[in-house]
Amino acid sequence: MDSGSLISRRGILGMVGAAGAAAALSACGSSLGGGSAGGESGGGVKVGLLIPQAGVYTPLGVDMQRGWDLWLKQHGGKLGGMPVTTVVADEGESPQTGVPALQRLIQSDNVDVVVGIVSSSTALGVRDMVTESKKVLMVANAGANDITAAAASPYIWRTSFTNSQVAAAMGEYLAKENPQDSVFLIASDYAAGDEAMAGFKEAFEAGGGKIAGMAKPPFGETQDYQPFLAKIKSSGAKATFCFFAGSEAVTFVKQYRQFGLAKSVPLYGSGFLTEGGVLDAQGDAALGVQTSLHYTSELDNPANQAFRESYEKAYDAVPTVYSVQSWDAANTLDRALRESGSAEGDALSKALGQLGEIDDSPRGPWQFEGQTPKQAFYLRKVVEEDGTLVNSVVAETDPVGQTS
Amino acid sequence: MTSFTRWLVPLGVAIALAAVPLFLAPYATTTMTRILVFGLLAASLALLVGITGLPSLGHAAYFGVGAYAGGWFAANVSAQAPLSLLVAAVAGGIAAAATGWVAVRSSGVFFLVLTLAIGEIVHQVVESWESVTGGSNGLYGIPATTVGGAPVDDVAPLYWFVLLAFGVGFAALWLVARSPFGRALRGIHDNESRMRALGYPTSLYKYAVFVIAGTVAGLAGGLLAAQQRLVTPEDLGFTTAALALLAVIIGGAGSLWGACVGAALVIVVRDALGPTLDGHGPLLLGVVFILVVYLMPRGVAGIRLRRRPAEPDVAEPEPVPSGGVRR
Repeated sequence: MDSGSLISRRGILGMVGAAGAAAALSACGSSLGGGSAGGESGGGVKVGLLIPQAGVYTPLGVDMQRGWDLWLKQHGGKLGGMPVTTVVADEGESPQTGVPALQRLIQSDNVDVVVGIVSSSTALGVRDMVTESKKVLMVANAGANDITAAAASPYIWRTSFTNSQVAAAMGEYLAKENPQDSVFLIASDYAAGDEAMAGFKEAFEAGGGKIAGMAKPPFGETQDYQPFLAKIKSSGAKATFCFFAGSEAVTFVKQYRQFGLAKSVPLYGSGFLTEGGVLDAQGDAALGVQTSLHYTSELDNPANQAFRESYEKAYDAVPTVYSVQSWDAANTLDRALRESGSAEGDALSKALGQLGEIDDSPRGPWQFEGQTPKQAFYLRKVVEEDGTLVNSVVAETDPVGQTS
Repeated sequence: MTSFTRWLVPLGVAIALAAVPLFLAPYATTTMTRILVFGLLAASLALLVGITGLPSLGHAAYFGVGAYAGGWFAANVSAQAPLSLLVAAVAGGIAAAATGWVAVRSSGVFFLVLTLAIGEIVHQVVESWESVTGGSNGLYGIPATTVGGAPVDDVAPLYWFVLLAFGVGFAALWLVARSPFGRALRGIHDNESRMRALGYPTSLYKYAVFVIAGTVAGLAGGLLAAQQRLVTPEDLGFTTAALALLAVIIGGAGSLWGACVGAALVIVVRDALGPTLDGHGPLLLGVVFILVVYLMPRGVAGIRLRRRPAEPDVAEPEPVPSGGVRR
């Protein structure tokens, strides 16, 4: 067999293939000398907006981009007086796509600041890369506690929430309202669900509440919640606290109603249970569900009224917590850049740390504490208003920071 | 062809690969690093799929086991250069040895489903074994690998480090494929029952190659941990396994280097072009796959230069309608 010629022909093709791949990368230069080049010259700020544009989190990405774009539109396209160039990159569903996308923003697009990130594992996974590049990352959703605790970086800030914080607000509230009632806990079996459950349990038990039982349905695989619903029923709990998001939130809330539990054992949860698109999908099954979150479109403060009006005008949609988080990312960066005068990581981080209270946020006043928001939480109840379902405000907590 | 030109091309490719960081910008070099990692995984899968005829949908499991083992070892024991890679390769091999015995006793669609199930089980284990794997948040904070006390964290040294390990892993696969053992594997691919009639213990051979492929996949996983310094359950999930199989198919199922070219295409589309496509990255990947299947049914390795008339090909014989898997 003429194997010699076979190998060389293959070799030639291999070289062609390699050359093609290199051409596709079309980024010539040199990788020697370590870290990537500095930011833009000419006084502008280049911001990488890393949001999911494909996969299950796409609706969150859409809302986040809207909040970001709207803020810039209303402020002449400038942050801290400097013209802004936004580079959007697709975070996808997981770190497999999110990490390379962030790497691209930092190494190839040479952005000064990165804003966004929905997935907690992506936010945690890029910590070293962000820290080594000395550029500010403003996390505008991911809620893992560790992002601003055990895995904190001086360059990573957050305008959203921590999973425990959201749930703890509900735990404290329920303990105050009905100290005698026992509550059943149920949450998707993954990191965010675990953190929410732990946050609720700690606050609720500290307030004298009792846990009737706990369940962790497999994450992303449970279609039928009946076995768990039966468990809730037999536990004798007076209320249920849950953490679900996305399609699981829709399925769970619907089945909870169909099972007949909604009337006898009221359902409580972290606010993502009924926020944004999932609420429309749940329909009437969500009526009466109570959740805690740091925002609802129904907030009655001047900043939110103005925000909501312009948002509805621009996009013909009701703003969500996700749009507020990226709006606030723009707002805080604007304030900090005014002080620092430069997007260089150390100067910008220092300025962010000295911001004090953000008094014009649609969510109400809040401030950074340990690089993550210290903010009030709203107890919200799903009601029907003019034919649409909304999360109306029942009560408001005092501002709380990160608890764990 | 003389033996001189036979060696010239691989040598040229090796030199070109080694020179990459001198000519490419940091991000392009990072992408090349990722291509090498994924390419080694794809090449190890090609040894199973193309050469032995075992189309595995669970190969990412051994990649992931290696990545978690290497990452955990680097974070908790030592980040000294070859250690975590050795741990990763051994862990991948052990995982393959533990699960492969069951898998290789089936064939065709049963093998496909069995490996899929193994992959899902391993995926579930790392999701729930939080104290070690970090659960769904993944294993993060893996330190940079150190060589002689100096951390390898800059783009170019990291690329050379990964390239060296890739070279070792690829050479191992290549030697296996060329050895008498590798020829027996091709025989099993073409007609397993005849091989058995000839006295070859085919199950044992398939088991051996399964463990070898798992070991190299584990090594690739160790490289992933060293390069990305983050390991998440997605790295050993179905998507990774399917993309690796896609890379093998793009490359042409019988060819190790073809799998690497296929891996390069997958990574360039997914990581370099994908993020800029306004959410259409997965769509482009799907279109590329369909185009490859229709336009290049034998993959990149099946492309023939017109210069020579068609000749019988050792690597790509017609499927034989018995025993192994039809392609």
